[in-house]
Amino acid sequence: MLKIGENIHIIAPSVKVALKERDGGFFVDLARKQKEAGADVIDLNIGPRKKDGAEVVEWLVDCMQEAVAGMTISFDTTNLTAIETGLKLWGSNAIVNSTSAEEERLEQVPPVAAKYDAKLIALCLEKSGIPVGADARIGIAMEKLIPRAEEVGIPMENLLVDPLILTVSGTQEYVPEAIETVRMLKMVMDPAPMTVVGLSNVSNQVPNKMRPLLDRVYLTMLMGAGLDSAILNPLDKKLMGVIQGIETRDDSTPVKALYLKLFDRVAGMEQLQPEDVDMSDPLQAEIWKTVQVLLNQVIYTDSYLQF
Amino acid sequence: MTVEIPKEKWSGQVREVTIGATAEDGGTRTQTLTIGGETTLPFLHFEGSIPHRPALAIEIRDRKPDDWSPILLETWGEAMESPAAWAKAAEEAGADLIYLVLSLTTADGEENTPENARRVVREVLDATGLPLAVAGPGQADVDNELIVPVAEEAEGERILLGICEEGNYRTIVAAALANNHLVQSKTPMDVNLSKQLVILISDMGIPLERIVMDPTTGALGYGIEYGYSVMERLRLAALQGDSMTQQPMLVDPGAEAWKVKESKVGEGVPESWGDWQNRALEWEALTASSLVQSGADLLVLRHPDTLKRVKAMIDALLATTA
Repeated sequence: MLKIGENIHIIAPSVKVALKERDGGFFVDLARKQKEAGADVIDLNIGPRKKDGAEVVEWLVDCMQEAVAGMTISFDTTNLTAIETGLKLWGSNAIVNSTSAEEERLEQVPPVAAKYDAKLIALCLEKSGIPVGADARIGIAMEKLIPRAEEVGIPMENLLVDPLILTVSGTQEYVPEAIETVRMLKMVMDPAPMTVVGLSNVSNQVPNKMRPLLDRVYLTMLMGAGLDSAILNPLDKKLMGVIQGIETRDDSTPVKALYLKLFDRVAGMEQLQPEDVDMSDPLQAEIWKTVQVLLNQVIYTDSYLQF
Repeated sequence: MTVEIPKEKWSGQVREVTIGATAEDGGTRTQTLTIGGETTLPFLHFEGSIPHRPALAIEIRDRKPDDWSPILLETWGEAMESPAAWAKAAEEAGADLIYLVLSLTTADGEENTPENARRVVREVLDATGLPLAVAGPGQADVDNELIVPVAEEAEGERILLGICEEGNYRTIVAAALANNHLVQSKTPMDVNLSKQLVILISDMGIPLERIVMDPTTGALGYGIEYGYSVMERLRLAALQGDSMTQQPMLVDPGAEAWKVKESKVGEGVPESWGDWQNRALEWEALTASSLVQSGADLLVLRHPDTLKRVKAMIDALLATTA
């Protein structure tokens, strides 16, 4: 699975300060750390950056040349000029993050990705907002995102469709829908488009100490449904361990075996069963509870792990 | 041709909760009220068991309220001058439970006092044999100041103490624990918060059999559909076995319905709105009967005729599905 490191993100206060002060060392260090931790791609989220987007990207690309030359870079902004600046400097080993199905974005963004032979992340999002059901999201992908990519000459292996992940805290009923959207995206056509998610959205507004567990379990389920890539925190060692465990089919510990079982169950279009889990092991029990919450079978609360 | 009725098999059950204690159990109530226990959705008798019908409470106050609709003032009349008389009148109207709300101030504008709260609760307990719920005026500090002495005064009666909210529940739960009462757990319309507050309250050591969940509702035309969906979702979760959502649900359509223009105001509204009195009663009755359909186990009402109308609907639905 393609792991896109999310840590250079303008929402993070340290990133904001470092960018303002043009602290190149900070970005070199953060990019290297993510690469060493196993990231395949470094995402550069600079926010909308309407005024000086191009200048900021140019400066960041310099930092990345020093830090991680040759890696794939994801240019993450709504400022298309800034993205194009990045693509010109970095070359085709890049991702355009992102277009949506909104008319103007869909008109303007895909040709830029095609021109530079970059990958394109395309969100299942229209002007009217995020559709909640899997069918509606597939509809957007099939009727808008995929045809437009084909039209401008982006091959399916370069199109990363993002079903959009919503938080389990408040929009719980849509959390299982995204899993099914990934599954359907991989089945509706041949060749199928690639799929990508912004993983940590699932645990937005959840107390910090509980977020990594939700992220790990949800990613396992999404991988089971066929997910190709995720924007995630590569510095989360347990998360990276789970991905590696699944990819190498490592069942050497009870917890690793359980993640593998969960992956296999979802891949087989089944649900994790109580007999798959040793409930007397607290680590396994909390995975079981988290699966129930992510499938919307038990209502989420900040203390769901207690019961 | 025989039609096979599809049946859902639920694994969960709503908890049974009993409010009030008779002499046998250390109280003085002549009857108790048990709610909950369902293993299916409302009125689907062919699918599961519904051991207790939805119960109807009448709200009374510790003094005649300043801001109630003239329709209510006219109906209750003299009885509103004394909580004991009001409670008796509510019992005669067919209430299953008296829901007593303590006011922020006394009639002469002074702050309500623990002594007054005790006195009123004692009078009401003496006047009626029905089980009782008592809520404060809805300001955390005053609520706590009044509910603690009320809990002591009514020791052994297993009354329902309101209102526990996320920001203020510890004192009330402690008072319920110390005097063997129950608590009302109220949250803004939100499934996650409803469940979370039940968890927090039960973490204090009170058995789940003594917690009634109040998910909050809006009146007809004022958000009832949102409240309805929240209750429906909580109930479906309960039947699916989600333990901390399995509390019986209390809602207050009386307070909600009598707050809105359609029932409150008789003048300066379009003529097409029709007869004021009838409209107001229908507003409360339709709000309440919708909530019965969404799984409410205990509904607090204000008008005695509304109670009759809702009761008739429940009777009819029980008869046709028995």
